[in-house]
Amino acid sequence: MFRVITGGSGSGKSAYAEQCVLDLGPAERIYVATMYPYDEECHARIARHRQMRSRKQFSTVECYTGLECLQVPAGSVVLLECMSNLVANEMYQEQGAGEGTVEAVTAGIDSLLGQAGHLVVVTNEIFSDGLPYDEETARYLRYLGEINARMGYLADAVTEVVCGIPLIIKR
Amino acid sequence: MILVIGGAFQGKQRFAREISGLEHWADGQSCGKEELDTCDGMIHFHEYIRNRLGEGLDCTGIPERVARNNPHVVLVANELGCGVVPVDAFDRRYREAVGRICTGLAAEAEAVYRVVCGIGVRIK
Repeated sequence: MFRVITGGSGSGKSAYAEQCVLDLGPAERIYVATMYPYDEECHARIARHRQMRSRKQFSTVECYTGLECLQVPAGSVVLLECMSNLVANEMYQEQGAGEGTVEAVTAGIDSLLGQAGHLVVVTNEIFSDGLPYDEETARYLRYLGEINARMGYLADAVTEVVCGIPLIIKR
Repeated sequence: MILVIGGAFQGKQRFAREISGLEHWADGQSCGKEELDTCDGMIHFHEYIRNRLGEGLDCTGIPERVARNNPHVVLVANELGCGVVPVDAFDRRYREAVGRICTGLAAEAEAVYRVVCGIGVRIK
């Protein structure tokens, strides 16, 4: 099963995603962490998420770019968080895919779908503030939007989490 | 009337094409005022509103005008009210106008869809 979970900042999408993984029953659980620890704020955020997962038996693997090369155990339950970080890493890190970000991430998702028993991806709803952005930020929004739509097409289920409440977009 | 809304870059246009089967769309970014009365469908409808406001036109009557003159049109607009209040006065007016007009149109529409991750959810 492939689930996509989206929502705004602080919406409770991570907790919901973790619960979705637990609901799939006993399994080898892999957490694919995409947030690159640039600074103290990132470290604090990562520590908070580690604490949330501590009793849920996840093995954490970091993947900042090149998702297509990531190997996960066959049949495992994989939780990837967060797509918005992965896209930013691919666009802006030196070893990232740059203008080929959409293709690189899409290939990475396809690769994970081929290996994992179940895949849950957390992404981010950042498209409805109506602000005019500079060209570079608009490109980031476009790439993430395209990847989200592509994942939504492939997914068995898409959920938008609002105030911790899951709204069904696709089931 | 069908209204398709959603955030930027969500695949609204493709979804609207799929459900309506329409091939020819007016583009709110570049079309004139009158096209709203005659077109079968319009993309970037929020830009249409922005352009009319920029011309100094009063847009409050748009929902009634569409219901009267073009009741079977398909309109595709960005949802753009979920951010911080814009600093610029015109941007504030634009953002609120799009919200109010889409609300008025939704009241007239037989179907309203909201597109997230490329998937349209019928909310009316």
